[in-house]
Parts: sequence; C-alpha cells; structure tokens
Amino acid sequence: MHKEIADFINSKVSGANACVVEAEVGDNLIFVEASSILEVCKNLKNSDYDMNVLQCVTGTDYEDRIEVSYIIASFTKNSEVIIKAKLPKTSSEATVAIDSVCSVWKSANFLERETYDMLGVVFTNHPDMRRILCPDDWEGYPLRKDYKVQEVYNDMVVDPPEKVNKADHNFFKEIMEKMGDEKKVAYSWKQEEPESAQ
Amino acid sequence: MIEINGKPYTGQEKIKSDLLTLNMGPQHPATHGVLRVEIKTDSEIIAQAIPHLGYLHRCFEKHVEHIDYRGVIPFVDRMDYLASMSMEWGYALTVEKMLGTEVPKRAEYLRVMIGELQRIASHLMFFGTYAIDLGAFSPFLYAFQDREDILRIFEELSGARLLYNYIWLGGVWNDVNDDQLKRIEAFCDKMEENLKKYHALVGENKIFISRTANVGVVSKEMAYEYGATGPVLRGSGVDWDLRKERPYGLYKELDFDVIKGEGLKGQVGDCWDRYYVRMLEMHESIKILRQCLDGIEEGSIMGKVPKVLKVPAGEVYMRTECPRGELGYHLISDGGKTPYRMKVKSSCYTHVSMLPEMAPGMMIADFVAAIGSIDIVLGEVDR
Repeated sequence: MHKEIADFINSKVSGANACVVEAEVGDNLIFVEASSILEVCKNLKNSDYDMNVLQCVTGTDYEDRIEVSYIIASFTKNSEVIIKAKLPKTSSEATVAIDSVCSVWKSANFLERETYDMLGVVFTNHPDMRRILCPDDWEGYPLRKDYKVQEVYNDMVVDPPEKVNKADHNFFKEIMEKMGDEKKVAYSWKQEEPESAQ
Repeated sequence: MIEINGKPYTGQEKIKSDLLTLNMGPQHPATHGVLRVEIKTDSEIIAQAIPHLGYLHRCFEKHVEHIDYRGVIPFVDRMDYLASMSMEWGYALTVEKMLGTEVPKRAEYLRVMIGELQRIASHLMFFGTYAIDLGAFSPFLYAFQDREDILRIFEELSGARLLYNYIWLGGVWNDVNDDQLKRIEAFCDKMEENLKKYHALVGENKIFISRTANVGVVSKEMAYEYGATGPVLRGSGVDWDLRKERPYGLYKELDFDVIKGEGLKGQVGDCWDRYYVRMLEMHESIKILRQCLDGIEEGSIMGKVPKVLKVPAGEVYMRTECPRGELGYHLISDGGKTPYRMKVKSSCYTHVSMLPEMAPGMMIADFVAAIGSIDIVLGEVDR
C-alpha cells in the first residue's frame, strides 16, 4: 500500500521525491521533500485514499536535522500512513521552517503549535504561532536532545541549592554505607544474587 | 445557537458596544482540572473562546528518553489518571509490537476485562461530574458508589487505587482469583440494573434534556476535520470503533455493538448524544465482561520477555480505543535500552482544540455543558 501511495504522490506533485522506507520491525515510512508537504497533504486528502483525519504532527531531533512526521489516517477506508520530511538544522538554538497544513485539516492548528513549542519547528502561514504547553517567555525547545533548562526564569533561580532536599538524595546512599556491601539490594524481599548486566 | 434578527450569531455582531473578557479557570470546577479558557462575552453570549493549556505540563516525553522500557509504565499512568489501565495497555501493545512478544491467553483475557472495567469506571466518573456541572448533585454519589466496587478489585489486583502499574510488557503483574471473578460477575448484574435506573433519573430528566439537547453540536464533518475520536466522534453519528475496525487483544473474538448518536432528543452530535453514547457503551462493556468471564482459562499470565530489554531500531504507531478516545503511541527506537523518542497522541488534546469553534454563540452556562460533554482530563491534555 505504501508503494502505491508513494507513486501516487510522485505522479501528482512534481518535486515531492516520495520514497518508501521498508521497515523490518514496526511501520513503513514515506519520506517526502519538506517544500512540497502542503501539496502532498492536499492531494492525499482529496483523492481516492480519502485521508480525512490528521492524527498527529510531531518531530524528532537528530544531530544534523529535525524530522517532522505527519500521521494521517482515513476513517472511511480504514488506513493509516506516516509521512516524514527532513529539515536540516543549522545550529542547536535556531528554528527550522516548514509549511503549515492548517488549511487542509483544522486539527493541525494545536498539533503544530505543540511541535513548535517542543522542537522549535516554525510552521509558516499558521494562523496563531505561539507556544502552547510552556509559558510564552520560555527559552529553548525542551525536546531537542541538547536542551538545557534555563538557570534563571523571571528572576527566579531554577532549582536553588538551598531548596534541594538533600536528605532525600542521600537516603539510599546512607543505607548503602550502613550495609557495607555495595552489591546487596537494600530492602529487597527476594534473597537472590543481583542480576548481572548482559 | 443564539439567533439575532433571524440569523445565527457568529461572534462578529455586537449587542453591547464592548466585549467583556472573562477568565474561566484555571481553578474553575467545571473545567475538570486546570484548564483556563479566556472567553470574550457579548452581554451573556460568548463571542470568542481561547483555551490556554499547560498548567499540568510535566514533559513526560522528555523524561522517558532517559528511562528503560519497563520503567516508563508508571509515567504513562499519570497521563489520564482516570483511565490508567487503558494508558498502560496501549503502551504495552506498542512495545510488544516492536518486540514481537506473544502474550498468554489468560493475560489477554485479564487485559480485556481490566480495560472494560476501567472504561465503566471512567464513564461513571463522567456521568457523575457531568450531572454536577449541570446542577444535579446526587448522581455523583451514586456513580462513586459503583466506581468504588471497581477500585476495590483493582486495589486487590495491583495494590493501588488510581495509578496501578499493573499491565506489564508481556502480560500482567498479578493473577486474579475465583473470589474476584465472582465479584466481577456480581458487579455486572448490579450495574446492569443500576445503569437503567441512572439513565431514567438523569438522561430522561426534562431539565437535563433542555440543558443538553441541541447544545454544542459537533457535526460529522467538523468531527473529522478536528480529528475527534471515541465517544465524541461516535456521538456525531459515525460508526467508528477501533476495537471493531482494527482489533487488538481479544476483541476479534468478542461480540459487541458499536454505539453511535442518533439525535434522539435534538440534533445529531449534541451534548445529549455524547452522554447517551457513553451510557450505552457501559452496557456493551458489561456484555464483553460476561463473555470474558465465560471464556477465561487457566494458564500463565506472563509471556517471555528478555531481562535486559532492547527494542530493535525502527518506528511504530499504535492506536488503542481508550474511554476518552483514541490514544496513539508513536515510538522511535534506535536499538538502545531507552526510547529515542516517544510521542503520545492524546484524544483530549484534539478535543480541546474544538472549543474555539464550538463556543461562539453559546450562553456561558451552555459552554460549561459543552466542556463537560467532551469529557477531558487535563493530565492527558498537558502530559
């Protein structure tokens, strides 16, 4: 089914370069060019495949790129496909941009806002491109792999050392010291050797 | 829908010269959690509604990137805390699909039973709180009395009343005994009678009908456009249930009907339809429970899962039918001990995005009825 859809995309949208990645485990993927994503989605919705529901827009951060996934489903034909687009990343802070598909499905509005908030993907022509889960003045994009929590937020120090509960942190450390044997598991009800890592 | 000079109100006309901004939430009891809706009212009619989310955001998707696959289950519990078992089941199925694990028959039966009991518990919670939203207090007490029976069984099985960590990768944690099975059967008998009583008490009540019929109508097209699932989609008259369309677990062998809204008291897809779909779904759950009680067989409850768990590299998207709608896990693995990326598609999140389109032209009190009828849990919206 994925092969047919990829052929269909290539015949309808020039420059989409749709190619199927066959997976050994899990689902097959279809990669398309990022610049053609809006046309691809429009064509898939208004075709015989009748992809009438956008399930999910999400992204994954890799070292040199961000992959945006669109999980699209048809509730009339009972099918589902994962479309992915690669966006090259210039630096760890900079945002990347792709066309918004809000004009195709209205559910894209909130889903794209979440992707912007978490991964810093800007969706051009989106009606309301704001953060949604984090506060508006938050810095950084939490789901990027090299994200670091800001040290000061609104004049408040994040995790000030005097407020860290040291008794809690040292609880297990002290038990270990009392027991003397590092390999023994504290408070275990099972009398057996701790499993060795493979 | 309010009409002005014979035309439906769209939010553009002005009755008063100024719009009044009103913050509904984050501590408003009718929002079922910490949802803030900024509403602009024109006299007492809503012209615009903007939901503000994130008050319960814990970024669980970031946390699980550092936790091994077994340790993720307690985190998953805390999303939809009123239907934790369904959340766990979806996660377990996702990882099992990648690993190719076979789950023993008894564990499958247990999972279906637990899932359906959880569905009844969750819908009872909806029934109780929705009645409170609309000004009736006693249904809440009835609902909690019955929910207590389910929670007692869950407590004996898992040791916890709300966040269970019961469904594990490859099976379930604890076996059920004959006494508990008998109690589930007794619960089914009692519940069937009670549900009829509750529906006569609330659903057929004249005040309840006038508060919910023809209010917050979600048409079939709008439901598709916004990606609505679960009772909200079925309330709009769409015959769609993942348990039938893409069966997982044992649902292929079980016999039950898919309920859809028919517009008995007003238009198709109004608040009353969504209420009615949930009430009838509880009857179907009882039907499934009875079949499981007949079919459950002796055997092991845990499949073969390696001690050090490494999921092969790849991607998977798995959907399950939870009480509030479809829950999807998008898992990306790089072959390591922890997920490389896990995205949760929550149904409540997409349902909240329908509010700005539903609200214009509603009275403020009707908006409370509309929020209640889509039955959101903010733990799942914000994750």
